[in-house]
Amino acid sequence: MATTTAQLVITSTDLLSDSLSLSAIATLTNAGSATGMTQTTGLARKKTESTSLYILYDQSALAVPAASAHKIYIKNLSTTAAEYVTITVNAEEVGRLYAGDWCFFPWSAHDSSNDISITPSVSSALTIEHMLFFES
Amino acid sequence: MATTTATITLSSADIQSDVLALTKQATLNKGGTTTGLDQTTGLNKVIYTATTNIVLLDSTALGVGKAAKVYVANKSTDASEYITLTINAQIVGRLYAGDWMFIPWSQSDDAGNIELAPSVATALPVEYMMIHEGATQTSA
Repeated sequence: MATTTAQLVITSTDLLSDSLSLSAIATLTNAGSATGMTQTTGLARKKTESTSLYILYDQSALAVPAASAHKIYIKNLSTTAAEYVTITVNAEEVGRLYAGDWCFFPWSAHDSSNDISITPSVSSALTIEHMLFFES
Repeated sequence: MATTTATITLSSADIQSDVLALTKQATLNKGGTTTGLDQTTGLNKVIYTATTNIVLLDSTALGVGKAAKVYVANKSTDASEYITLTINAQIVGRLYAGDWMFIPWSQSDDAGNIELAPSVATALPVEYMMIHEGATQTSA
């Protein structure tokens, strides 16, 4: 078993009149247990050059189990503020990841159409990094 | 304008043969700009006592296509307890005890609510927060 942690820190001194300093740390474990997740795709980098939909994680191809505790990290490495990628789960739009933004979320992989995809806003080169932690 | 940052650190000495030590910081800006997001729901804490699917964040017209960010954490300490997150009825994933997520939310249409369903009807604590550019105010 491996020990992998994901920590989030959100800070702001001027969003509210009280300083914001939120920290959360999760140990990535298999669903419903204290056993550490042991598998990962590794950190990957993808350069897109069209506004077509790109499948990042294909549920069928990966054959990861459904209803599990998989986690996904995605970061938009663009430095042009207007450039974003739209993240979708099975064609349902989650949100736009603008330049410099990252996200981290669970993936249930509950059926063959439950792919994680991105659609870039521009057809010029746009690079993202992504990583999947999964159980088998 | 406010300056708010979100930093993620992914660490592991043994999930692969190369040590994982990734740290990335994002400054939370309005969509397509370098102007900081300036509104927030604040940090909410709710203890759920039913397995009913509930609307955590209601999609509003003002948020469509923008750069709202959503944080959700399952604060349970029982490893078997989870919440199932959905957007417009599409299951995204399960947050087990201690897990958190941080996602952009474009509120793609009026049905694009973020909803959750607890796995247990015993007290299950959840924290959540949205940092955003605006929300539609409903008339009384």
